[in-house]
Amino acid sequence: MRRIALTVAAGAFLAVAATTAASAQLAQGIVRVGTDVDAQTLDPRLMRDTTAYRVVNLLFSGLIQLDETLTPKPDLATSWENPDPRTWVFTIRTDAKFHDGSPVTAEDIVYTYETTLDPKLNARFRSLYTPIDKIEAVGANQIRMTLKEPYAPLLSYLDLGIVPKKLAEGGADLSNAPVGSGPFRLARWQKGSRISLAANPDHFGGRPGVNGIDFVVVPDNTARAQAFEAGDLELIQSPLSPRDIKRLEGNSRFAKSISTGIAVTYVNFNTANPLLADPRMRRALAMMVDQATIVGQIYEGTDKPATSLLLSASVWSYSADVKQPAFDPKAAVALLNEMGWRDTNRDGVLDKDGRKLSIVLSTHAEDPNRIQTVEYMQNVMKQNGIDATIRVTDWPAFSGGVQQGQHEVALLGWTLLVDPDRLMYAQLHSKGGLNWGKYANAEVDRLLDAGRAAQTLPARAAAYRDAARILGQEVPYYVLSEQGYQVFHVPALQGFRADPRGMLRSLAAAK
Amino acid sequence: MTALRRLGSNLPLLVGGLIVVAILFIAIFHPWLSPYGPEQMDMRNRLALPSAAHWLGTDNFGRDLWTRLAHGAAISLSIALGSVAVAAAIGTLIGLVCGYHGGWLDLILMRIVDLFLGFPALILAMALVAVLGPGAVNVAIALVAVFWTEFARVVRAAVMAERQRDYVRSALALGASDARVILVHILPNTLGPIVVLATLAIGTAIVAESGLSFLGFGVQPPAPTWGWTLAYGMRFLRSDPWLCTVAGLAIMITVLGFNLLGDGLRDLLDPRGMTRRGEGATPAAGPDSSSGRAS
Amino acid sequence: MLSYLVRRLLLLIPFSLGVAFVVFALLHVIPGDPAIVLLGEEATAEALAQVRTNLGLDQPLPVRFGLYLLDLVRLDLGRSIFRNEAVSTVIAERFAATAEVALLATLLSVVVGVTLGVVAAVRRGSIVDVGCMLFAQLGVSMPVFWLGILLMYLFAVRLAVLPSIGRGEPLVDALLAAAMGNPGVLRTSLAHLAMPVVALGLNGAAILSRLVRSSMLETLSADYVRTARAKGLPIRRVVMGHALRNALLPVISVVGLQFGALLGGAVLTEGIFGWPGLGQLAVGAISQRDIPLVQGLVLVFALMFALVNLAVDVLYVVVDPRVRLR
Repeated sequence: MRRIALTVAAGAFLAVAATTAASAQLAQGIVRVGTDVDAQTLDPRLMRDTTAYRVVNLLFSGLIQLDETLTPKPDLATSWENPDPRTWVFTIRTDAKFHDGSPVTAEDIVYTYETTLDPKLNARFRSLYTPIDKIEAVGANQIRMTLKEPYAPLLSYLDLGIVPKKLAEGGADLSNAPVGSGPFRLARWQKGSRISLAANPDHFGGRPGVNGIDFVVVPDNTARAQAFEAGDLELIQSPLSPRDIKRLEGNSRFAKSISTGIAVTYVNFNTANPLLADPRMRRALAMMVDQATIVGQIYEGTDKPATSLLLSASVWSYSADVKQPAFDPKAAVALLNEMGWRDTNRDGVLDKDGRKLSIVLSTHAEDPNRIQTVEYMQNVMKQNGIDATIRVTDWPAFSGGVQQGQHEVALLGWTLLVDPDRLMYAQLHSKGGLNWGKYANAEVDRLLDAGRAAQTLPARAAAYRDAARILGQEVPYYVLSEQGYQVFHVPALQGFRADPRGMLRSLAAAK
Repeated sequence: MTALRRLGSNLPLLVGGLIVVAILFIAIFHPWLSPYGPEQMDMRNRLALPSAAHWLGTDNFGRDLWTRLAHGAAISLSIALGSVAVAAAIGTLIGLVCGYHGGWLDLILMRIVDLFLGFPALILAMALVAVLGPGAVNVAIALVAVFWTEFARVVRAAVMAERQRDYVRSALALGASDARVILVHILPNTLGPIVVLATLAIGTAIVAESGLSFLGFGVQPPAPTWGWTLAYGMRFLRSDPWLCTVAGLAIMITVLGFNLLGDGLRDLLDPRGMTRRGEGATPAAGPDSSSGRAS
Repeated sequence: MLSYLVRRLLLLIPFSLGVAFVVFALLHVIPGDPAIVLLGEEATAEALAQVRTNLGLDQPLPVRFGLYLLDLVRLDLGRSIFRNEAVSTVIAERFAATAEVALLATLLSVVVGVTLGVVAAVRRGSIVDVGCMLFAQLGVSMPVFWLGILLMYLFAVRLAVLPSIGRGEPLVDALLAAAMGNPGVLRTSLAHLAMPVVALGLNGAAILSRLVRSSMLETLSADYVRTARAKGLPIRRVVMGHALRNALLPVISVVGLQFGALLGGAVLTEGIFGWPGLGQLAVGAISQRDIPLVQGLVLVFALMFALVNLAVDVLYVVVDPRVRLR
């Protein structure tokens, strides 16, 4: 008994100690942010993971910044114009300095984009910029971009961090010792556990209101939530475990922001597979996805059931009137019967011409929620006469298979959808570079081209809505959910505004 | 009579044997031991605690946990028994050849054994499953690759010791063929260590199989393997620790049963302690089995 | 002795080549490649082909293996594809994390295992003996990662007295800080170390206690020990001075093997406690198909294992002069 009392006392002591430590940290102006993985490289051209994406955003400046409504705002560029659909001209500021004191010049900007476009660099996001034909400096304070074809989404991608040409060409290790011109500079990077940033007093936007931001790596979602509750972190954000979100939401000690992010979880049908070439088959399978139960039970309501390929977070393009098939297993079976699939031998599995209706559902092993989703989908399909099996492999094997079109029905996700073009063009345009399901529809192609060429948002929105309407009928994709975005922080973080991408730029605002 | 009395005084053998028989009974007769199917879901009754209807509670899909674990016993034991049997056969063959033939063949084969031992076991198994693709058979193949070296080493040591004995020498001097000497004289005398090693390896194989599932390189869902139940249980550790506890207990009791059985058999079959001393390669006595091989 | 050592060390060269070849072959047949992971969602066929060319993946296999061996001869393990750092640097960064857990866990298992084993042997048949052996049986049967989960549930979730995950400052730095009068850092480091070390150490202790017990029983019944006791030497002297020393021989080889395996990183335990060690690094490297990193790691694992084995053989001679190395 005494031992228990002692342990409890010790626990209480530690909790108190932790809380005091927290306020001490914040009193020094250091904000500790929990993150799930360590960054692998902090070179903005090479970055791949979300942590790097969020850290780089604080270390570097881009031509523009997206605000929390995903609207482009000035950064290094103070203004821009679009004299014709293939030309963009940016006026850049002259008072920006890199962390080593050297000025940010038009040369650096041109260099950054040219190297990103250089296939030899292996830049992950290179394909976002390939429509750029030429980028050049015009005088000391202007940049001109010439495009191969009209490409309206481009502006949203121009937050690419600008690197110092001189250092980069001199062979500096920007991956591990990044030098940018953002509101923070890298103070210390303990690989695998912590990335410490310090305020940059010389930032052109003024000295940030906080002295530093520490990204603390805590891989387990729940452990991260607990560290936050114990006062070891000032801010945590998605990915979080649904149960922790529920608990934290009920705690008045914390400030929160719960919203819908710009990522989706979706089902990819391989339309090149003979079985799945018929839109009716895809529609029948989509009608067997119990969206409400999956999102409500497995994701415990932290994601939002999607209605179509249009994302609600993209306010200007979304429309609730555009719909994809809803869960209706009876209608699905009826549709299959109509196609000739019947259970002739009474073994509980539909068949046609002596062949069983067999489907392989695949996903990757890294995400337990996706494994559970596939497992539940398989169960529902099996109950409705489809011989569904599951194939879960690790990401490279799974993704490699999907890219070669070896999959049948695959569950995967898509992130950073700052523009509807990003979800649709590359994957559903017949010329799209990521059209793994080999979907081809001339009308959809035409509409997606129109979305790129249109100069006004309403015109673009109309094109994407029409395309999404057709895609909702043909179902090459079934969008399961829009991934939720949650952030919790201590109330003392004044001026913090949640960003659906998880960016922390609002902490950089001058006092 | 003496055999019976020895059995009675051999507590590990008795307890281990009883546990193993019970688990085997569950594994064989699982379809008749529960009114539920292992894939029967009830999403409104997820992660329920034990009740009259579900006396071990339900898992994250509302499936009856007892049913899942009973079916899982069949899968986990098939993989463990199958992989250990094949590993024992391969390892014994190579151990016999090495120990009996010696010379260059021994040198080469034992270097290959060293090569396999140099890989951390779980990483070797993981890489193999990644190459072969997921599924029960491939997991078993990967485990064979991990286990055969232990058998080869122990059998080789036993054969080398046996070869020096007078009766083998005299048999050879009397003109007995190599095959006859191996089959009639040497193999029976190495059977003790092999059987003991095999029982101990089965325990390790069960843990390794769950470890692979835990890493996402195991048998495919919805197969009710213990590893999957444990891996899902880990996701719900904080809110529903029950799932994890029960799955872990199932593994532990089974491994305990096989380990006790192995200990008991050792006292019975191998009083000289070949498997105990050997080259420190016994699964239960080497780190390969526990901390190293499946941690 | 010296020529023996030289010979064993020289044997490491063909051994390393063999390991390098096996890993290379395995990585070649594994589905999925680093280009896919590198490009992630942006992997167009054209971009994939380009990245494969950049990484040299489109070269014929013998050429690739030859190039790798050339680097190896120069003791260059190559660069990690995903971390833009030399493989040797990446491994060195994580090695300390694994080594401190391995050392402490081995220490714990030796202290607990030998103590329990000796006590159980001396008090053979008593309730203490039964208790020790029960601990040993349960400890051996309990999957280490499950024990880790249980520890985490008890100490991090229920009692909330230990951090559930992650690592504090490196132990060496923490010790220095403590020496400089800042014990808080050391306390944090030890709090993080506690659960992984206990999970791995208890399992080792269970294995060792059985071994020490049976080994002790054998030596305790040996003639010279009986003689010593007959001569009236106190039991403590007999146990410590004679029996334990001889019983330690098989223990050394098992401890060596355990330590060697732990240096390879306890994959699952590190995963559960988010410990940034070599095991986690290896799993990550495999799942990213970071070919140079996987190759480097496996080579390092194999060499460590071989060196620990060698050290064990040498220790044998030191402890027991009757053993000769040839």
